[in-house]
Amino acid sequence: MRNTERLCLAHLWLAFAAFVGAAVLGAWQMWVRSPLGAHTGTPGDYYMSVTAHGVAMAYVLSTFFIMGFGYFVAVTALNRPLPGKGWAWAGFVVGVIGVLMALVTIGLGKASVLYTFYPPLTASPWFYLGLVVVVLASWVWCVLMLVSLAAWKRENPGRPVPLAMFATVANAVLWLWTTVGLAVELFYQVLPAALGFVQTVDVGLSRTLFSWTLHAIVYFWLIPAYIAFYTMVPRAAGGRLYSDTMGRLTFIFFLIYSLPVGLHHLLMDPEHGNSFKFIQVLLTAFVAAPTVLTIFTIPASLEIAGRLRGGRGVFGWILALPWDRPMVLAAGLSFVMLFFGGLGGLINMAYGMNAMIHNTAWVTAHFHLIYGGTSVIMYFAIAYEIWPRLTGRQHQSLAPLRWQLWLWFVGMMVMTLPWHWLGLQGQWRRVANFNYDNPIIASWGPLVIVSLAGGLVLLASALLFVRNLAVLHRSVLPAPTRSLYALAVDPPRRVPAALNGFGLWNVLVLVVMLLAYGFPIAQFVVAPSPSAIVHRTE
Amino acid sequence: MAEPSEPRAVDRLWRIWPSVAVVAIVLTGALLGILIIPVVQGRSAGIDAFTAICRALGILPGSPASPQIPNRNPPTPVSQVVWTPSVLQILAEAKPERGRAKVQEVCTACHGEQGVSVSPEFPNLAGQSGTAIYKQLNDYHTGSRTNPLMTDIAKALDGSTIADVAAYYAGQPMRNPNPYTLGAPDAIVQLVELGDPNRNIPPCAACHRQGAGGPIDAPVLAEQRQEYLTSQLKMFASGQRRNDVYGRMRAIAAKLTDSEIDGLAAYYRAGLR
Amino acid sequence: MSDRSHEIPERWILHTELLWAFGVGVLVAATISIIVFTALTRNINPPSNVERVDPKTLHLSGEFAEQNLGTVVAADGTVTARIIATQFMFAPHCIAVPQRRPVTLRFASPDVIHGILITGTNVNTMVVPGYVAQVHTEFTRTGELLMPCHEYCGLGHSEMWANVQVLPAAEVKPDRDGRVTCAQH
Repeated sequence: MRNTERLCLAHLWLAFAAFVGAAVLGAWQMWVRSPLGAHTGTPGDYYMSVTAHGVAMAYVLSTFFIMGFGYFVAVTALNRPLPGKGWAWAGFVVGVIGVLMALVTIGLGKASVLYTFYPPLTASPWFYLGLVVVVLASWVWCVLMLVSLAAWKRENPGRPVPLAMFATVANAVLWLWTTVGLAVELFYQVLPAALGFVQTVDVGLSRTLFSWTLHAIVYFWLIPAYIAFYTMVPRAAGGRLYSDTMGRLTFIFFLIYSLPVGLHHLLMDPEHGNSFKFIQVLLTAFVAAPTVLTIFTIPASLEIAGRLRGGRGVFGWILALPWDRPMVLAAGLSFVMLFFGGLGGLINMAYGMNAMIHNTAWVTAHFHLIYGGTSVIMYFAIAYEIWPRLTGRQHQSLAPLRWQLWLWFVGMMVMTLPWHWLGLQGQWRRVANFNYDNPIIASWGPLVIVSLAGGLVLLASALLFVRNLAVLHRSVLPAPTRSLYALAVDPPRRVPAALNGFGLWNVLVLVVMLLAYGFPIAQFVVAPSPSAIVHRTE
Repeated sequence: MAEPSEPRAVDRLWRIWPSVAVVAIVLTGALLGILIIPVVQGRSAGIDAFTAICRALGILPGSPASPQIPNRNPPTPVSQVVWTPSVLQILAEAKPERGRAKVQEVCTACHGEQGVSVSPEFPNLAGQSGTAIYKQLNDYHTGSRTNPLMTDIAKALDGSTIADVAAYYAGQPMRNPNPYTLGAPDAIVQLVELGDPNRNIPPCAACHRQGAGGPIDAPVLAEQRQEYLTSQLKMFASGQRRNDVYGRMRAIAAKLTDSEIDGLAAYYRAGLR
Repeated sequence: MSDRSHEIPERWILHTELLWAFGVGVLVAATISIIVFTALTRNINPPSNVERVDPKTLHLSGEFAEQNLGTVVAADGTVTARIIATQFMFAPHCIAVPQRRPVTLRFASPDVIHGILITGTNVNTMVVPGYVAQVHTEFTRTGELLMPCHEYCGLGHSEMWANVQVLPAAEVKPDRDGRVTCAQH
């Protein structure tokens, strides 16, 4: 299995290299926005940085981490070699080419359209082509996950798929569905405009197609954290998973309900009426369900571990947990951030409250907390957990790992909590230069500086993370051999076919997407928006 | 646990009930969102059910919960130029050679054959944006912009000739695209690069620098005649020149001080961009 | 430390999970019910006005021609404010609105995507080229409010904002055409 280890490491190192670069840019952006850095940096520099930061964190860190982790799970959870390793390496090389195309174009200032691109603002076609290439590479990964699963099921007829792999394949299926919106927007609208074949863009349609991808992608990012919650955290704590069935249902819920809810990103948009906005808000309430279910199942699993370690009383088991283990510590910190981020999400989906915070700093705070906080801290923990397997070496000390996780948590809370408050005050997004002479804006200055401090702590944590991994490569301790995935309290001998595969769920996703997105997209075919002239930024 | 002899029954139940649940949820949403909520809201605003539903779906304009105000329709627009694909097509198909013929006949006397003007109050046109020239000539033609010399000249030109002339001058040698900002006062450089949020002034570069993604008819300012730039900014400030759509330049110019106007004109004349 | 967790009966696990799942269902139902209730009783909606308008000819159109922008009190007393959002300013730059009267705000963009919020209120909408963005609201407090562009619209986005002046009823003096302009100070 040697080659698979290098395959995983290649993906993960690319992800983390992009992460560190983006962290530096993020800290610079916080500085320029604050009163301390006012008037430094032109808007051209700032929006180039925002684009690079967004693309690196949202498209490179996430996609390549998930691919690398996915290959790892496919090999270790299924206990068989990865099929199509040549394809996997080809996909990686193609992905690297795509990343370079996109990042170099951004660096030349020809793509300051932000990671959410805003047609009719149109960047150099190399930028979009680079991202298309990255998506194609990720589709190779999706296919290999499906092939892996199919091969295992042929060799193990009737047996339940190990939960870690079931969840990974759920994520791969979700990603295939998710990228459809973005792919159609790019191929049908944005690339023709960028290449000069058309001079106008139907902006209502492009926003709707992007919204298809925009919500589901955040669950694509979140699911690896949940894979860790359900399989790695209970084992790291020394316990068992409370319910295997609930785990499967959680991932199935994510698959069905994270797609047909994209319109909740367009609640304040004029191209849709409130019927379909309401329908998708109702469906959004259901995508909250798997998280709330998890909030029970995982602490229940940890309670088992705590009581096995001698914890007594209603809460004594919490103290008895092995918090010195990075995976357990990260899970605890992640849950705290999930609480705040999740509440923020519930507020965002209720459109009465959404009107208060749409496109304010609240939104920025929310997604930094829920993605940068809840998800990415688990990416760190997963990396720490699987790196010994990948390198054959063990961490010499766990203290720097814990320090790094605590710094990330503290930095994230200090950066995002004041940001939420500033959003409620009306501070708006994507400003290169605030006018601190205005008294309203001046009153925000102190909290912006507090956020900046949080951002600097995050930068320190990011550097420490990379250092911890780099040091492990040179460690002299051999890696222990131990299982990575928890057993359920009652491991099933058989699960219903619906909980062991995705045939039914794909059909349901198709049905739900037709019902939820059919009319909103079809209206642009029947009655296209008056189109807007392309504005080129290269 | 289910007995091994009944797995198919269990599987079927697990297929049926989730499907029913998911479809029921979506249909409930549709019932509420398409039917119940718009009709009830419409009733409170005096809107009939059919109209309310059409509005909620987006088939008709207006909110299902509020009456729609009637429109008012009046007067004279500031510029007749519209940037539609067909107009952009005209510009794309323009012939600079035909433009050269017309230029030699009409424009050379003031604007020069290479686009360097003969006198400071006439603008340079060499390397100017083709869309910008097209718009200004059209505005002279329709009277949206007036000038004792240009109005009669432009009235004699038709759309495709204007496009040819624009293409000709746009194709004249490009200026230095990467100037440095050495030697210009800090306050002026700040206005060009950062603008002034306190006065709502965006950076000049946000529209007038190539590749900025601003309005497509924003003219190139580099190496323009200083006297011409000063006079135009002053005419925008006083409202005498009114062919900037929605008063973008009028709003900005009115907030600039005289020394800023002079400083910016000097900055751009030096070829700084 | 022996692993006796497998002694937890499966029925107990199922029982607790179902109980919790029931609670989750109640939470989901409560969230949806509140939204439906406020929709039916107080007309709380996301902005809903699908009205197409050609951004390329906006300046030629009757309604959004330059001279027609700003706040107007119609003969029947309804107050409408028409505002253009363009790279990189709002026209008009100062919008006067009366306190405690229903106001309809109508926004359009001739170029790229913009967006607005008005600080201290729940007025918030995207302004998408191709559509008229319409918001119905009532301003409760007098004063000078900030209305920035809150969506990235290009390099001049940071400098794009307008003022909203909420005038007490006595100071709302429409001119001959019904126009209301900001008080100078």
